[in-house]
Amino acid sequence: MIRRPWRTTLVAVAASAALVLTGCTGTEGAQNSSAGSGMIDFLNYGDFGGGTTPKANYNPYLDATKLSAADYIYESLMYVETYSCKAIPWLATSYQWSDPKTLVYTIRNGVKWNDGQAFSAKDVEFTFNMLKKFDVLDTQGVWTFLSSVKADGDDKVTFSFKQPGASAFTQVSGVKIVPEHVWSKVADPTTFVNATAPVGTGPMKLKSFNPRQLVVERNPDYWQADKIKVNELRFNKADAGGQVEQLKLSRGEYDTNAMFVQDIKKAYVDRDPKHHHYWYAPGGVISVYMNLTKAPFDDVGFRKALTTAFDDKQVIDKAQLGYVTQASQSGLVVPGQKDWLPQGLADDGRIGYDAAAADKALTDAGYTKDSKGRRLGKDGKPISFSFKVPGSYVDWVAAADILIKNLQALGITVSKDTPTPDANNQDRATGNYDMTFGVFGGGCNMYANFADPLNSARTAPVGKKAASNEIRWQDPKTDELLHTLQVSPDEKAQKEAVAGLVDIMMNQVPTIPIWYGAKWFQYDTTKAEGWPSADDPYADGGNGQVVLTHLVPAGS
Amino acid sequence: MLYFLRRTGFFVATLWAAVTLNFLIPRLQPGDPAQALLARLQGNTQAVNPVQLAAIRKMLGTQDGNLLSQYWDYLGAVAHGQFGVSYSYYPYSVTAMIATALPWTLILVGVTQIASFAIGTLLGAWAAYRRNSRVDSVITLGSTFVGTLPFFWIGLLLIFVFAITLNWFPDGGGYGGGSSPSWSWLFFSDAFQHSVLPALALLITGPVGWIIGMRNNMVQTLGEDYARLARAKGLPRRRIALTYGARIAILPNVTGFAIALGGLLGGTVLVETIFNYPGLGRLLLEAVSNKDYPLMQALFLFTTIGVLIANFLADVTYGFLDPRVRRAEAT
Repeated sequence: MIRRPWRTTLVAVAASAALVLTGCTGTEGAQNSSAGSGMIDFLNYGDFGGGTTPKANYNPYLDATKLSAADYIYESLMYVETYSCKAIPWLATSYQWSDPKTLVYTIRNGVKWNDGQAFSAKDVEFTFNMLKKFDVLDTQGVWTFLSSVKADGDDKVTFSFKQPGASAFTQVSGVKIVPEHVWSKVADPTTFVNATAPVGTGPMKLKSFNPRQLVVERNPDYWQADKIKVNELRFNKADAGGQVEQLKLSRGEYDTNAMFVQDIKKAYVDRDPKHHHYWYAPGGVISVYMNLTKAPFDDVGFRKALTTAFDDKQVIDKAQLGYVTQASQSGLVVPGQKDWLPQGLADDGRIGYDAAAADKALTDAGYTKDSKGRRLGKDGKPISFSFKVPGSYVDWVAAADILIKNLQALGITVSKDTPTPDANNQDRATGNYDMTFGVFGGGCNMYANFADPLNSARTAPVGKKAASNEIRWQDPKTDELLHTLQVSPDEKAQKEAVAGLVDIMMNQVPTIPIWYGAKWFQYDTTKAEGWPSADDPYADGGNGQVVLTHLVPAGS
Repeated sequence: MLYFLRRTGFFVATLWAAVTLNFLIPRLQPGDPAQALLARLQGNTQAVNPVQLAAIRKMLGTQDGNLLSQYWDYLGAVAHGQFGVSYSYYPYSVTAMIATALPWTLILVGVTQIASFAIGTLLGAWAAYRRNSRVDSVITLGSTFVGTLPFFWIGLLLIFVFAITLNWFPDGGGYGGGSSPSWSWLFFSDAFQHSVLPALALLITGPVGWIIGMRNNMVQTLGEDYARLARAKGLPRRRIALTYGARIAILPNVTGFAIALGGLLGGTVLVETIFNYPGLGRLLLEAVSNKDYPLMQALFLFTTIGVLIANFLADVTYGFLDPRVRRAEAT
């Protein structure tokens, strides 16, 4: 008799406390009220960077720690969208190579900084010279190529290069421009967090920030303001585990996000098939790296035989949940970069799985089997090596298991080695491996795409850390083609050089691309339409500013 | 006196060892802070841009060179209370980051630890007092059962039931997206709401250890001769339980509590991660996973100092509370 009232009271207190508490939050914003005005009130975006305890930081050059508001506040001369790599005129309306060492941009008229001051070529000059002075801000390394940057009146900027500068075009075009009248007063831009009212030319201005939510609002004076139909973007801090985030995504609390979701179809799309979509554009090329200083990997016959040895489809479906696509042996990312592929390459350079062909090719190349079915090396001993894969990259380990099984089916003894990611990185850089995974390319700078993995100047002897050529590919012909690609401003010559490099990838097989890393991108069309997709790949999900100019209210 | 001197000497030596290990351990592991930062930015499916990597490395000023001179610099900096700039929150200083996170942990975990201790000790004492009764078995079995449940599971269950399904409380964070830290009623009520679920999780699991410890201690003390004598004298049961049993039985729990408070940081990692709470535990987790050496070292150092001070204080208090300890050491 005594217990009952006590329990009822407790429940009542708890319930009323909860009611009172939820009543006085006042934190989550208003509903979408301005339907019909042709505008979207706000969109909920995913995480905004800056770690779990973010602090205000809108310095566009602090890549690793800035908050993503900076991506909507600052703009560059051209916007190189990263799906098909087209350079879209942005703060510059056009550019011209007056000679291979001189690049002239024409600056857009009538652009204003969000504090009302006029933007001009002087700001571009200032920005680049600031990066020269404070070189740690030059995260694209433009000053390794440049010799000077000069404004020429209000609407022309001349970039002079130390050597022919074609290969630096995407980097130079992508540098975020900051206002001289603000940044010239900053004593040390390397520690400038730009916390209050950051001044930029971009489509959005900072509205509010706290460590849970970052809000940017539409800049009415933006130079293409007529294309911006969203009043606010709200970025929301994600939790560390991701479980709750996935639940929120599936409930439609995000208008867009970029995260890995296990079984995306069931967890997200099926919850609201009409509005919930995803498109994972292909990114970096994930490849089998072979240590080219060791036998049998130093033999092109062996490497080439392995191009048909791996069951890509199984890797994609089982290890990668079907989220990715098969990589082209060319080293390019297809279909986005298809324009760069030489004519007549079967299936865009994708080489299918054909164990029998691999078996025959190995035998033809002199790798016969002994009576026990073991594949023998040129020295007559059974081939055996290890495959290194970071133990905590679960999907990579699953992929490695499939590849190892494929190799074992060919009579090769392969053991699996699963160090930590750090140790694996270190081993790959110093050449302490037989076979492993590596990522290269996927960017819009064709020179970097091929030079990072293949340039002999970027390698090092085994035991020393290689800058980026971790497979230790050394080939004068490759270096020559890379040089052409680096210096020639002429598109035809560049394409020929890429064709030459593709030929090397196809026939010399320095690495074996397996799949393209996915760029996670989920979107919800309840409030906004016009998101990029496989059917309309005008950019990939990560190209925030370009995407923003395409968004329109749903149903309009 | 000798006892206290000895304790102080031990304290200083341990502190030095801790500082040194703190310096050495991160440096003996493979890995590159700049690379870890980039990985956080872009995941493992994109190629690393070597130029960008080099710029970040230069920005962070990651040290190369002589380990001994690095150690010397480090000792000097620590002595001056300088912990440098955090790598993962560049250009914010380590102390600024810790100052932001500290109040959250202190309040959430501090309050729940004290409450857990109080609840646990009381329940434990009650169970021992009503030994072998229904109350005792409910408390003992209940706490044993709760003790076997994984903490993260309890946390996720609470989130699922109270945040996701019933929508009574927020699903994580220290405060809502629309409010920001200020001395206002709105903010405090918001922060309070956000602290309910993590506090509940801690209060469900927190008392378990204290309950079991207290009950066992007290059952033992109640079985001692002096307790039996008290019973024989016909003293009231309640008085025996409180003055003869609980007072003695609580001693080991007090030491345990001091140590637990000192090691607060370690225990908060899980709860703060699950509930996305902006305190020191998450900061520590992030520092470790990003190889943010300066932040990591400062946090570890503070924890170590906390544990050492707590131990020291517990030792000293014990010396005062129980004269036998002092005497035993002196002879």
